[in-house]
Amino acid sequence: MAASTRAQAISLYKMMLTESKKFPSYNYRTYALRRVRDAFRANRKVEDPKTVERLMEEGHQTLALIQRQVTVGKMFSTQKNVVEG
Amino acid sequence: MAARVLQQCARTLARPSLRLSSGNLAFRAAVAPAAAIHRPLSFAADSRRTRWVGQSRIPSVGVLCRQYGDLPPLTIETIKDRVMYVLKLYDKINPEKLQTASHFMKDLGLDSLDQVEIIMAMEDEFGFEIPDAEAEKLMTPEDIVQYIADKKDVYE
Repeated sequence: MAASTRAQAISLYKMMLTESKKFPSYNYRTYALRRVRDAFRANRKVEDPKTVERLMEEGHQTLALIQRQVTVGKMFSTQKNVVEG
Repeated sequence: MAARVLQQCARTLARPSLRLSSGNLAFRAAVAPAAAIHRPLSFAADSRRTRWVGQSRIPSVGVLCRQYGDLPPLTIETIKDRVMYVLKLYDKINPEKLQTASHFMKDLGLDSLDQVEIIMAMEDEFGFEIPDAEAEKLMTPEDIVQYIADKKDVYE
């Protein structure tokens, strides 16, 4: 992978994690974090520029989705889960 | 005169029990300074619970300075302790293999994604953001300690 795409992927990963952490609901938060980590790890060996580009695009869309859902989630407050303490 | 009497009462009362006088407003006011003096002591006791190991030996801040919500001053040692503590809690690092000079990728077998997560944990711990360009150069616990010390103006 070219150095620039690598840096982009890493910054996307970081942004997605920071946004996922903002979910007020425990279930959505842990799911989003797990899903982001798994997806990046599953695709870390991808070299083909076309595939990388497609995945990056998908990632950006998912980032937007996460941000939207966090905002929506904040409008409807949920009760704290038992596991959250 | 009245103030002196009050002060004496407060002094005698403050020793056995602070709680005793809480019903009386006048006494409460008089006892307040005494409570303030006791504050640093309780802070030192508190330091065991939160992980500020070795904070209590800063005598200059001691007697009358109340610390409100402020954190104890950072030193190279405390930064190092906190960094190592955060790293030990990271599930992919084996705490026994962790050294201050160990390289995340070469010695601990992590990849760049793990390194990003470590840096994010450091951001959470120290409460400031580390830009990507600098984050990718931080590959050992030593580097992280040095970087944070530089950012927070902490010197030996």
